[in-house]
Amino acid sequence: MMNKVVKKLTAFGLVAVAALGLMACGSANAASGDSESGSSASNNGYRTLDEIKEDGTINIGVFSDKAPFGYVDENGEYTGYDVYFANRLAEDLGVDVNFVSTEAASRVEYLQTGKVDIILANFTVTDERAEQVDFALPYMNVALGVVSHEDNVITDLDQIGEDDQVIVISGTTAETYLTENYPEIQLQKFDTYAAAKSAFENGTGVAWANDNTEVIAFANENEGYTVGIESLGDTDTIAAAVTKGNDTLLQWINEEIESLASENFFHKDYEETLLDTYGADYEETLVVEGGKVAE
Amino acid sequence: MDFVVLKEYLPLFAKAMILTLKIGWMGIAFAILIGLFSAMIKHLGVPFLRYVVSVYIELFRNTPLLVQLFFLYFGLPKIGIDIDAEFCGVLGLALLGGAYMAEAFRSGFEAIEPIQMESALSLGMNHFQAMGHVILPQAVSISTPAFVANIIFLLKETSVFSAISLMDLMFTAKDLIGSYYKTTESLALLVIFYLVILLPVSIVGSIVERRVRYASFGD
Amino acid sequence: MQVLGIDVLFKGINMQRFLEGLWVSMRISLISVLISIFLGLLVGALMTRRNPVIKIFTRIYLEIVRIMPQMVLLFLVFFGSTRVLGINIDAEISAIIVFSFWGTAEMADLVRSALISIPKHQYESAAALGLTERDTYVHIVIPQTIRRLIPTSINLITRMIKTTSLVMLIGVVEVLKVGQQIIEANRDTSPNAAFGVYLTVFILYFMACWPISMFAKYLERKWN
Repeated sequence: MMNKVVKKLTAFGLVAVAALGLMACGSANAASGDSESGSSASNNGYRTLDEIKEDGTINIGVFSDKAPFGYVDENGEYTGYDVYFANRLAEDLGVDVNFVSTEAASRVEYLQTGKVDIILANFTVTDERAEQVDFALPYMNVALGVVSHEDNVITDLDQIGEDDQVIVISGTTAETYLTENYPEIQLQKFDTYAAAKSAFENGTGVAWANDNTEVIAFANENEGYTVGIESLGDTDTIAAAVTKGNDTLLQWINEEIESLASENFFHKDYEETLLDTYGADYEETLVVEGGKVAE
Repeated sequence: MDFVVLKEYLPLFAKAMILTLKIGWMGIAFAILIGLFSAMIKHLGVPFLRYVVSVYIELFRNTPLLVQLFFLYFGLPKIGIDIDAEFCGVLGLALLGGAYMAEAFRSGFEAIEPIQMESALSLGMNHFQAMGHVILPQAVSISTPAFVANIIFLLKETSVFSAISLMDLMFTAKDLIGSYYKTTESLALLVIFYLVILLPVSIVGSIVERRVRYASFGD
Repeated sequence: MQVLGIDVLFKGINMQRFLEGLWVSMRISLISVLISIFLGLLVGALMTRRNPVIKIFTRIYLEIVRIMPQMVLLFLVFFGSTRVLGINIDAEISAIIVFSFWGTAEMADLVRSALISIPKHQYESAAALGLTERDTYVHIVIPQTIRRLIPTSINLITRMIKTTSLVMLIGVVEVLKVGQQIIEANRDTSPNAAFGVYLTVFILYFMACWPISMFAKYLERKWN
C-alpha cells in the first residue's frame, strides 16, 4: 500500500512540475514578444486598415453596461456617446461594425491580443497606458470625481475615515490614482460598472470614485446622491485606442476626427446621447472637437 | 517572466489566498452541516420538511454559484436584506455545497440496507447506538469519494467570488492585469497559488479514499 | 411590480434577449459535450493501455482538470493563448476549448472504468464465438460502455450550462451579462431592477438545467 501512495505522490509531483513548465515556456515566449512587440504583433496582433476593409467588419470594444457612454438598450442595440462615434467610424470606413462587450480591466488586453481593432470604451489617456497601446486624438475631457450619499457628502478625501471604504472599478484611472496618492484609503474593487453601481446603491462604501462624467451622471439619475468632489487630480482626455504599432488605422482615425470637426460631430453626439443626462451646461467642458483640447 | 514583478506581487497573492481559504473552508464547514442535516431529514422522511429540503436541493444543484451570489449580493438588498460580501460568499458556498453534500450523504445512507438497522436493534442497541456504530461509519465510508470530490469542487468554485468584489486570487490576478498589464506574471502566480491550495487537498483526499475503500467490504 | 424591477423584463425585446443569452450558454455546453464524448472515448480507450508514458500523461491531465478552477483555465486560454502561441481565440471558442478539455477528462475516466469493468469472460466468450477484436468492440464492449456513459454525459451538460455563467467574465454576452445590461440601461426608471432581473436569471438557469438533470436521474434509475 505504501508503494501505491508513493506512486501517487510522484504523479502529483509530476503534475506540479508540468504545470510550472508550461508557465515557464509561456513566459519565455511572452517575454520575447514584449521586447519586440511591434514586429511580433504585426503577424497576429492586429489588423491593418486594408485588412479590416477587406474583411468588411470592424471589431470595436465598447462598454455594454456604462450608460450613457456605452450600453445596450431594451431593443438589444448598443448605444451611447462612444457607440455613436463607433458607428460613424464604421460607416465612413464602409464596413459593418461588430461590438465586443468589454470590462475596464480588459481593455488593454483586448487590444494587445488583437481581440478588437479599436477600443472606444471611455478610455482615459495616461502615460502608462500609452506605453501599452496607441491612442488616437481625444474626443472628450475627463477628470476624476467622487460621488457620495446625500446625508454624508464627501467634499474632501481627508473626510474618509479608517474604516470607510471607497468603491472603485478595477482597471480604471480612479483606482490607480487613489492607490498611488491615497494609499491609506480602503478600496472596494468591482470588475464591472453594473456591479459597482448596484453595490453603491445597496449601501456599500461611503463614496464611489470614478471618471467625473460617470459620477455626475449617476448623481443626476439617482436620487439621494451628491457629487462632493467634481474634479480630482489632473484633467485628462478620453480617446480611441488601437493596438501598439497599428499606424494605418491610427492615422485614419485621426484624420477622421479632424475632418468631423467641420460638421461639429461631437457636439451633435453630445446632444444625441448625453444631453438628457447632463443638460447643456457640461457640453463645452466635456466635448473635444477635432482632437483639439481647449486650453 | 519578470521575477522582480513576481516577488512584488507575491504578498498580494498571499493575502488573497488567505481570504480564499477563509471563505472556502468556512463555507465548506457549513455546507457539511447543512448537507448532513438535509440528508437526515430526507432519510428519516420527516413530514413537510423533507419536501422543503428536496426543493432546496434541486434549486441549488441546478443553478450556478455566480448567479446565486449575484442574487444574494445585488438582488436581496433591493427588498431590504443587506449582507456584506464576505458573509454572502460564505452563505452562497454553504447553500450550494449543502445541496451537493446532502446528495453525497443520502447515497451513503441509501446504500445501507434496512436489515442492518433492524439487526442492530434486535441485538439490543438503541437507535442512537445503531446510528453511531453501524450505520454512520458505513455511510461515511461510502460517501467519501463524493465527499472529497465535493470539497475540491467547492474550493474551485471560490474563484467566482471576484464578481462580488471579494479580493480573492482571481480578483487579484485580474486587477493586476488591468492596472499594470503584467499578464504573464499574474497568470503564473494564479496557477501556482491554486496548486498550493488544491494539491494538498487532492493528495489527502486520494489517500483517505483509498483507506476507506479498504474499510468497506462486501462489494 | 415596478419596485422590484419586474417591469423591465417585458420592456422592448428584453425577454427575447434573455432567451438568446440562454441559448449562447446552451450552445457552448452542447458543442463541448459532443466534443468531450468523442475525445473521451478515444482518450479513455488509450488509458486502458499499459503503456507507462500514456499512463503518466493521462494521470497529469486528469489531475490538472481535477484541481484547476475552470475560471483559471478560461483566463489562461483566453488571455494566455495569444501571448504564448500568438493565436487569437475569441471568447466563445475559448470557452468551448476549456469545457471540452474538462469534459474529455471526465468522460475519459468514465470510459476507462467502464471498459475495465466489463468482465474478462465477455472478451473470452466473444473470442470463442469467433468474433474478431473489432467485432467484439463494436457489438459487445461499446454498446455496454455507452449505456453507462449516457446518464453521466447528460449530467455533464447541466454542469457545463451552469459553468457557462463564468464566460461572462471573459466577455461573452450570455444570460447574466444581458441581465447586467438591462439593469444598467434602466437604472434611472427602475432602480430596483437588480432583484427582478437576477431572480429571472436564477429561474432561467434552473429551467434549463432541472429537466435535464431529472432526465439523467430517470435514465440512471431505469438502467441500473
